[in-house]
Amino acid sequence: MEWLESFWATYSTLVLSIGTNVLLALSIYLTLATGLLTVANAAFMGIGAYTAGLLTTQLGLPFFIALVLGSLLPALVALAIGRPTLRLSGVYLAMATLAFGEVVRIFILNAEGLTGGALGLNGIPQLTQWFDVALAVALTLFVLLRLARSRIGRTMEAICQDETATELMGLNVGAYKLLVFVLGAMLAGLAGGLNAHFTFFISPDEYGFDRAVEILAMGVLGGTGSPWGAVIGGLLITLLPELLRGLGHYRPLINGVILILIILYSPRGIWDLFRPDRESRRLPAAH
Amino acid sequence: MLAQQIVNAISLGGVYALFALGFTLIFGVLNVVNLAHGAVFMIGAYASLKAVVVLQLPLPAAILVAMLATGALGWLLDKFIFAPLRARHAPHLAPMIATIGVAITLTSLIEGTFGSENLRFPSEVLPAEALSMGGVQITWLELEIICLAFALMAILLWGLRKTGAGRALRGLAESPKAVALMGVNVESVFRVTSILAALLGGAAGMLIALYANAVFPRMGQPMLHKGIAVVILGGMGDIRGALLGGFFLGFAEVLSVAYVGSNMRDAIAFGLLFIVLLIRPQGLFGHVVQRRA
Amino acid sequence: MKLKQILAGAILALASLTGVAGAQIKIGAAEALTGNAAQYGAPIRRGFELALGEINGRGGINGQKIELVIEDEQGKKEEAINVFKKLIFQDKVLMLFGPTLSNSAQASDPVAQSAKVVAFGTSNTADGITSIGNYVFRNSVTEADILPVTLRIASQKTGLKKVAVLYGNDDIFTKSGYDNFKKALQDLKIPVTTTETFAKGDVDFKPQLTKIKASNADAVVLSALVAEGAPMMVQARQLGITLPFIGGNGMNSPRVFELAKDSSDNLWVGSPWSVENPAAENKKFILAYRKAHTMLPDQFAAQAYDAIYIVAQALKKIKITGKLEADRKSLRDALPAIQWTGATGPFKFRQVAGRDGRPAGYDAVQTAIVMMTKSNRYVIQK
Repeated sequence: MEWLESFWATYSTLVLSIGTNVLLALSIYLTLATGLLTVANAAFMGIGAYTAGLLTTQLGLPFFIALVLGSLLPALVALAIGRPTLRLSGVYLAMATLAFGEVVRIFILNAEGLTGGALGLNGIPQLTQWFDVALAVALTLFVLLRLARSRIGRTMEAICQDETATELMGLNVGAYKLLVFVLGAMLAGLAGGLNAHFTFFISPDEYGFDRAVEILAMGVLGGTGSPWGAVIGGLLITLLPELLRGLGHYRPLINGVILILIILYSPRGIWDLFRPDRESRRLPAAH
Repeated sequence: MLAQQIVNAISLGGVYALFALGFTLIFGVLNVVNLAHGAVFMIGAYASLKAVVVLQLPLPAAILVAMLATGALGWLLDKFIFAPLRARHAPHLAPMIATIGVAITLTSLIEGTFGSENLRFPSEVLPAEALSMGGVQITWLELEIICLAFALMAILLWGLRKTGAGRALRGLAESPKAVALMGVNVESVFRVTSILAALLGGAAGMLIALYANAVFPRMGQPMLHKGIAVVILGGMGDIRGALLGGFFLGFAEVLSVAYVGSNMRDAIAFGLLFIVLLIRPQGLFGHVVQRRA
Repeated sequence: MKLKQILAGAILALASLTGVAGAQIKIGAAEALTGNAAQYGAPIRRGFELALGEINGRGGINGQKIELVIEDEQGKKEEAINVFKKLIFQDKVLMLFGPTLSNSAQASDPVAQSAKVVAFGTSNTADGITSIGNYVFRNSVTEADILPVTLRIASQKTGLKKVAVLYGNDDIFTKSGYDNFKKALQDLKIPVTTTETFAKGDVDFKPQLTKIKASNADAVVLSALVAEGAPMMVQARQLGITLPFIGGNGMNSPRVFELAKDSSDNLWVGSPWSVENPAAENKKFILAYRKAHTMLPDQFAAQAYDAIYIVAQALKKIKITGKLEADRKSLRDALPAIQWTGATGPFKFRQVAGRDGRPAGYDAVQTAIVMMTKSNRYVIQK
């Protein structure tokens, strides 16, 4: 027991981070598996984090409510920009969502009166417990695994493989894309709210380009064939820096090299190595 | 003030255009978003700095050193990363993620070797005298950058139109299969493109390092963001677009600082980008490219 | 080198596990050793090691040597939290220094506070840090204390009537500096002609500077770090702006001479530490630092150096029983009363109030020296 207490004292932040990173990876899995390269999840995470954080610090709302609202607002934003944005595809979509993300970040930065601007939001109460994160991850994983096998999941894969054909079959492609985009935004917002409440302090530059790239890397490294890929990706990206700590100065270097090696060895992500049947692929179509 | 701001905009635009040229080439031909271009650019800056400081070379020689270093990098990138991934028919996200890994590796390599502080060129070598014309100041260096951006663009366009290699490149951008059927060694064209783009990145690196007189490991990052914006505005894979997009962005940024407020500068740049993408995804100056197998 | 450190760390960890405590005094440091902030973390580390070398060379504290466990927090707040936790719970240090950036401190200091371990910042100057709790200390003087002095003296000497302001709005350090400048300008009733911003990593400031030139200000108030501030001065001079620049302590670094070469004159800075300060302790420090590292120290190194000595004074006063919790507490209790004259001059602590109004952590009390750059030197202005 003492060992457990001591372990938790040192590593609790790490474990909770694994949880929120897995949620983020799942949020991008949804869109990647549908063939959408959207990288706005960092911005949605930021919106969720600030919303939840402001609600608990300024209005003293209960944690659960703050989390729910913190997941809803990004979803609403996603709904608002989704229609026009999702008409784009491929790299153009990526760039549009990236640009959108930057605009959000700058907005948060400049809305000093509300968000504290560059000074960030501090004194966020430590409300996230391990079971909050565990529950969120378990629930999300369960729902997404069922989704993957359901009609919606098959439609996602169909859109990913060939959008035009899917449309011709009478399916409302636009609506499905919007659905996964909004769901992804909600998950990212949830992750943001949870993360804010175990790190005391948030600031705008945590939700910028670097974070967006990190989330994308988690999704792709883990593999988009299944929600389990997202779990692998989240675990890997969170643990790797910790495992490499002993390398001191060379840590980021090895980090980068490992990233390259994984992609070279298994371009479809790590999950691809474990899949029982490598024939049926659910992947963004290779142009 | 307006006159000076216009001059500022032109020189900033030249800087952006220079960076975007290499970036857009890789996307246009290899269909890869090369997120390592910023790091390649940074290596060019360091290589030229060391050439001047350690090897005591004059500036024109230093630029060749920079291009040599980055050209080699471009070769390595294609040989060990892009080519293997092409061979395995990897999804097009894979090379992008790999370039992220490359960027991280290169940045930390430089940081570990040279430290993360800003370095600068010795002031003796800087052509930094300012010309003053009618109340407007501009330095020789800025003029050189602008001229070079135009010159490089002209050379590239000429090369793409008139030379066999250039036509092969353009053909590849349209349809790899068709070009292969015509007997072109597709792999070597890809390789050459990667090298060419890296050469351009390296040259840009040194020039911009001189312009800002700051060389530091992360200098590629903000350039990459702006480069992405330029390439979108100008049209992906469009050489002229890279130039026009660069100047457009330069003007947008400078004028928004001058007349709106400097804290909105980036918001306006990216907001513009977002809107352009929604309304006209092929960019303000690009043309729609139908991607076939 | 790394292997030796890992082995040494392992042996010590084993030793402390088997209760052979008291052989060495273990303190921790979480600083940015890689990443962007490493340019500040590196001189901090050098300052620590210099001071420790001297103290241990003289026999340590009451016969015991001090061991510093230094970890890399990469300038990232999550890493700062992780590293703090590791140092506190795994390495079981008596107290710890750091982190390097104010942003990270906001996230990691609460961890130290609730674990009841002293967190001592040597480079955190933003607001909202020492108000976290009574285990948070810092010897880095806040901008709120220095900037009014700098402004007053600079305005007296240059006779300025109105200023333009330029600051980094995406970094807590430069933004916090700006807030303090704004307040000081209001108190001194100096009107502002225009306020411009820039972002970290920007290299082109000409649009903002052009606007400043057109606004006819008498001076430019600048809240920036040297990485951006130096190119700014170069570009300003290129644009024909000859106005004085008044900076926060981010600009107090000899690097400004390297980076801005011929454009570095006429920069006003205030700081408790100056490389030109002829005081005996400072000269000794500068000499020792140059000998060990062949370069001049900067403010980060000086404050880190003094911080070690301040903690050493407290360590001398307490009795180390080997019971971690009790020792940590007695260290915290002994610190506030320490007064020390080091490289940064006479120093003492001042308690501040927390967010709830109750007494919290401890800020630094030191007099600011105002300097102006001229011919590659900081010249002290009286």
